[in-house]
Amino acid sequence: MTPFRTVIRNLHILTGLFISPFILIYSFGVLTFNNEGLLNRLSPVKRLPEIKTKLDTIPYGETDLAVAKAVCKKLDIIGEVDFISRWKGHLSFPVNKPGLRTIININTINDSVSVSREQLGSLRAMSYLHQMPGPHNENIRGNSTFLKFWRVMSNAVGYFLLFLATSGVLIWLLLKSERKMGVFVLILGSVTLTCLILLILNS
Amino acid sequence: MGKGFKSITYWNRKIHIYTGLFLLWFIWLFSVSGLLLNHGKWKFAGFWDQRKLSVKVFTVNIPAGLDSASLINVIMEQTKISGEVSAVKLSNDSIDFRVSIPGHERNLHIDLKKGSCTSKEIEFNWWGKIRTLHTFNGINKTRLDEGPNWIFTRIWQYSMDAIATGLIILCVSSWITWFKSKKSFLPGIIVLITGFAIAIYFVFLIKIF
Repeated sequence: MTPFRTVIRNLHILTGLFISPFILIYSFGVLTFNNEGLLNRLSPVKRLPEIKTKLDTIPYGETDLAVAKAVCKKLDIIGEVDFISRWKGHLSFPVNKPGLRTIININTINDSVSVSREQLGSLRAMSYLHQMPGPHNENIRGNSTFLKFWRVMSNAVGYFLLFLATSGVLIWLLLKSERKMGVFVLILGSVTLTCLILLILNS
Repeated sequence: MGKGFKSITYWNRKIHIYTGLFLLWFIWLFSVSGLLLNHGKWKFAGFWDQRKLSVKVFTVNIPAGLDSASLINVIMEQTKISGEVSAVKLSNDSIDFRVSIPGHERNLHIDLKKGSCTSKEIEFNWWGKIRTLHTFNGINKTRLDEGPNWIFTRIWQYSMDAIATGLIILCVSSWITWFKSKKSFLPGIIVLITGFAIAIYFVFLIKIF
């Protein structure tokens, strides 16, 4: 085996092994996201009893995100503030962790707070991770430590997948015994994808 | 036993190679589009500023006595528009809905009294189309049981499910191939355990801590 092939093969194996659990997260995330109706019938979201409390003061900050983070700190809730809605006398925001959604609703007139929680389960956790950080609410996305780390992992999975696909092809090219059938399968995959895209975009 | 195990190794290797080759371009497409979704500020892949806006007006024949779904179908046939229908709003004298295909969105307003159809359209460049292909599954968050209403959305959704299943097969076959080959065993077990530890933390443990 040539040194080049050995290096590529070892990198392909080690990179593949490291990101394989994340590929599972992304794959199960897709299956969950595309079949959420079925999942809801099999494993509905579990809503926990609502908690009502009153804050001594609302820790108003410079931005809505700063207020939301300060309230989370007071309530000892950790997670990613997804978005913030403000309307007359109310401030509301969901705080997400994979598998757990907490919705905090603050009445800014009397400083009362209601906290409702939903246990989403592991499959929805994977679906959530698949969608994060994503394109939405870019100005506030990554306001929690776990999502900052997940953003790095998410990008790493994207780059590593590109590397795995390329190195996989290189390794296959050096395997003479699998070449003929491999070319056929590669062409079959390319034609399938091209036909699908053309059908969708030109309908 | 030995022969049986050999044949598992043989088929597993074949499955890994051919599944990978079949999915090669799908993996490229979804990896690149995933990175595009995570990096909206990448200048070279800008699409929003370069979107094309247009307005088209059609005359449509509105048959009497149809429900909203049938009416939308009739209008789409007359205007030769196809795609995933969403955001339907019905009033006494008008109907509004959106028809989407990846990278091309049409917001239609039908004046039922005048028999006119105004289509406000947004068309993205190829980067925008690639981005939208990643998320194009026709899922309506408020009506999860309904699923897509356009045949090609459904086919694309099934394709995404098939790719996800293919990737799971690739992962499992890679573990078997690595385990059987005994090459890079120690570094392999270290990176695999590290990967699993991080993944398990994010999926199962983070909600507790």
